[in-house]
Amino acid sequence: MKFRCERDVLLDAVSGAGRATSPRGSMPILGGLRLGLQGDLLTVTGTDIDLTISVEATVDGKHDGLAVAPARLTTDIVRSFDPGAVEVEADDEDLTLMSGRSRFTVRTHQASDFPRVAAPAKDATVSGISGLSEALRQVTRAASSDDGRPILTGVLIAAEGAGLRLVATDSYRLALRDLPGVSVLGEGQKVLIPSRALNELQRLLSSAADETTLRLGDHDASFAVGHATLTTRLIEGDFPDYRVLIPSGYPNRLVVGREDLLDALRRVKLLARDATTPVKMALRPNSIELAVVTNDWGAAVEEVEAKYEGSEMTVAFNPTYLIEGVEVVTGEEVCLDTLDALKPAVLRPVGSDDYLYLLMPVRVP
Amino acid sequence: MRLVIATCSVDYAGRLSAHLSTATRLIMLKADGSVSVHSDDRAYKPLNWMTPPCTMAEAGSSWVFTNLKNETLTINLEAVHLDVSEELGVEPGLLKDGVEAHLQELLAADPTALGEGLRLVRREYPTDIGPVDLLCRDEEGRAVAIEVKRRGEIDGVEQLARYLERLDLDGRLRPVRGIFAAQRIRPQARVLAGARGIVCVEVDYDELRGRKSDDLRLF
Repeated sequence: MKFRCERDVLLDAVSGAGRATSPRGSMPILGGLRLGLQGDLLTVTGTDIDLTISVEATVDGKHDGLAVAPARLTTDIVRSFDPGAVEVEADDEDLTLMSGRSRFTVRTHQASDFPRVAAPAKDATVSGISGLSEALRQVTRAASSDDGRPILTGVLIAAEGAGLRLVATDSYRLALRDLPGVSVLGEGQKVLIPSRALNELQRLLSSAADETTLRLGDHDASFAVGHATLTTRLIEGDFPDYRVLIPSGYPNRLVVGREDLLDALRRVKLLARDATTPVKMALRPNSIELAVVTNDWGAAVEEVEAKYEGSEMTVAFNPTYLIEGVEVVTGEEVCLDTLDALKPAVLRPVGSDDYLYLLMPVRVP
Repeated sequence: MRLVIATCSVDYAGRLSAHLSTATRLIMLKADGSVSVHSDDRAYKPLNWMTPPCTMAEAGSSWVFTNLKNETLTINLEAVHLDVSEELGVEPGLLKDGVEAHLQELLAADPTALGEGLRLVRREYPTDIGPVDLLCRDEEGRAVAIEVKRRGEIDGVEQLARYLERLDLDGRLRPVRGIFAAQRIRPQARVLAGARGIVCVEVDYDELRGRKSDDLRLF
């Protein structure tokens, strides 16, 4: 294999595909990138079996071929080059990268050992989804990172009315976003996609136009974004019945400026030096008082102007979870609906039902 | 262990000087020679302390502790409200939650947490390549080899697969099925276990110990 291209073209390809590799796993080949050249088309692929990212780039191809090179090392080498032309050559044992006066030779893996990448069936659904990037940003954060409960590490994507609904929960919070008018799935159809894959998809979307093509197979889903294709295994199993978790009405409603609340939360959170210290929110008619109190470090208290209708009370939350919810509510004001200090509260934008973030309070003495 | 509650002031002289003015405090003198002065807050953190080796000298109503660097901690006692000593004996050490040995012990005590009808044959059942954590029999009398890990990774599945291979050579046990038990099992380990015909079971450590989390959850 031999080709020549601009450094930035190669860097985009190897760093993009490299995000799916698994350098610390027990299979060294999964820490490698498969570089395949056919004519002027270079395809770089990284995979950890569950997630695969392939990035295509147009290069000046000299000889077709295949090589599997260590992902991190190759990316670091390409990144270290000055902008300009890079020449890449591979034989059965080595990959050589040359730029300017630099020449690196890297040992390669056996290309035939590279796992065969799963791809959705040919008769898969093919659809364009716009507006997905924002929806993913709002929802994936509520998914669990605990592999012990694999169902909760996924995001449910389901047909809902004439649109699409995304839901994720880690059992402490739940994020739900509707994309009205996006008819990707058939009526009643739903899939559970690993949040890790969707976080990578969001990263790809942020560097490309917000348009995705989804190909859906029985066990895999594939998203095409620009020159990149992300393929992930679907999670099998039943997502919790989230509808029963959302109360039908709330007696207490707080409306507060989103930025004011975020700034105050980030300030008082400085005192929450561990994951278990809550932020207490005292709800009053014209303001809220946020407080973080710790024995070891001290206390932080801040008052924020707000409109509150309901019973005066104090409710406590995990500050990280609360901030993560407020961050992704759109609009200048957020609405926090509460039942009492021990029942789930709901964050949502004012005047819109497309998004909600259900958050369980923390029990405090 | 000697515990003294006293109204005292404390002076430290060494790399720097520090003074605690008169107040009522807890003074803790441990058998290892250390001394620490506590107020009624700050959880476990003393206001001042001296680590062993150090020596204690009494001079009137003052206790002077000196370490190898000649740093001194002087406690000036004005009134002693409590002075008790107790022999605590040998400390068995901290047993951290979730260690494999404890999980194995809990599962040995109740193998049905891994599958209905399982009963223990032996812990650390020997094979010629090392002992498998638990050997059980199921309801139908078939042998079940169980490997217990805190985190379920591919390596653990491979380890169990090797044990199964060895155990299957024993005509009294053959055919032996495998259960891979862990608090958390990685998806890749599940895939490999599935390919080897090994059942994965995730165990809840708190539940095994009969404890319930106090966290509020949506479900």
